[in-house]
Amino acid sequence: MGDGNKTGLWASLKRPSAKYSLLTLLVVGFVSGVIFWGGFNTAMEATNTLEFCISCHEMRDTVYQEYKQTIHYSNRTGVRAICSDCHVPKDWVHKMARKIQASQEVYGKIMGTIDTPEKFEAKRLELAEHEWARMKKAESRECRNCHSFEGMNVEKQKTRASKMHKIAQDDKKTCIDCHKGIAHKKPKGMKEDDDDE
Amino acid sequence: MKQNLVTLAVTGAFLAFGSQAFAAPDWGKVPTKTIEVFHPGVSPIEWVTKKADHSGSSGLKKGESCAGCHDEKGKLSLDLKRLASKDMEPKGAPKTMTFPVGVQAAYDATSLYLRLTFKAPAGAADPADKDNDVKATVMLANDKVPQGAQVGCWATCHNDARTMPGADDKKTKYVKEGALDLMQWKSAKGAKAVDGTVSDKRAMEGGTADVKAEGSKSGDTYTVTFTRKLAGGIGLAEGKAVPFGVAIHADHAVGRFHHISFGYMLGIGAEGDVKAVKQ
Repeated sequence: MGDGNKTGLWASLKRPSAKYSLLTLLVVGFVSGVIFWGGFNTAMEATNTLEFCISCHEMRDTVYQEYKQTIHYSNRTGVRAICSDCHVPKDWVHKMARKIQASQEVYGKIMGTIDTPEKFEAKRLELAEHEWARMKKAESRECRNCHSFEGMNVEKQKTRASKMHKIAQDDKKTCIDCHKGIAHKKPKGMKEDDDDE
Repeated sequence: MKQNLVTLAVTGAFLAFGSQAFAAPDWGKVPTKTIEVFHPGVSPIEWVTKKADHSGSSGLKKGESCAGCHDEKGKLSLDLKRLASKDMEPKGAPKTMTFPVGVQAAYDATSLYLRLTFKAPAGAADPADKDNDVKATVMLANDKVPQGAQVGCWATCHNDARTMPGADDKKTKYVKEGALDLMQWKSAKGAKAVDGTVSDKRAMEGGTADVKAEGSKSGDTYTVTFTRKLAGGIGLAEGKAVPFGVAIHADHAVGRFHHISFGYMLGIGAEGDVKAVKQ
């Protein structure tokens, strides 16, 4: 009795095909792969849209309203940074890691951890600290998708911005070291940065 | 007749010389530096030096002054909306957040003369001073005041001082080290000039600078002139520059509801943001 007589799904998958040509298998496999990969990425990109982010009232009624008052939402040149531009990495590896991490938020949604304005305020500092830590660890990578010291002409800035940016470069600081609370309300009770003491 | 004319001329000359010897300088010949004052909200030194509140605190640590960043060629470069917001001004901000004050300074062998010219806006947030429409104050710091040349009056302004939210009503301005002279003019009729000091607490009398203050209102413009001894108080002298700041309590304002300037340097025969002209 040979292996070819074995039944079951795993055995069927392992058995060489006698019916389809190698070319057919390759083409079908390739096309299926493209469809699967494209579908996966399309679905993932759908979770990167502004509409997706504010489809939950937890974001729509709080941080989104604050963001709408800032320069990242509306400005002279019409360039807009939406939620994912700042909160989700652009490159695939970091993006996947962030998406997996963000799946915890589904649990939070089900449990209703921030489903009222009061609960959101109570959690605001903790949530902000997590995001600041992520940004700091990545050296403000998402900010730097658009902004960079190399492309910055500090001479064209106002005095206070110019002086602070020179200090930041000398001290090897990154954007988030200073620019906290620029798109959302600053939480109350912020701690002093450890590296700034 | 001829004799009468001579007598008149001699008397006139005597009076002219006499008045020159005692009067303040000819202010028309003293340049004016325009300094903008603003309502600071609740931004005591603890706020200024805390990075979580004020990202510019890292500039201060590097030796930068408040004015060095926030005075943009004589114009304030500040987030006034933030200063007037509920977070930073829980009691409510004045209707006018900033206004300019002309500052002139002169000195002679014994005295310093300081003149402020401004229009005090209406619309105070806390118009509780029944006696005074306006008060004008100048503080001068000695070199022992921590960060005095950088932060000016903020060295004296703490979150536990009176009129700050939740603070003890008896606690006044203070500095941890050093001292400042405080001169104040009050608009109430017959009010005495304040010759005060700030060290571990504020004293509104007992200063040793022999401060005199005169003020007048012409149209809607106030002109306040301070005269003080160089040698008194914290001890001023030719060739030295001293940190100073201006505060105006407009429209019966009290306590922290003043409009204040950043700290600037007053040069007395020395370099400074305001240079006192020698008489």
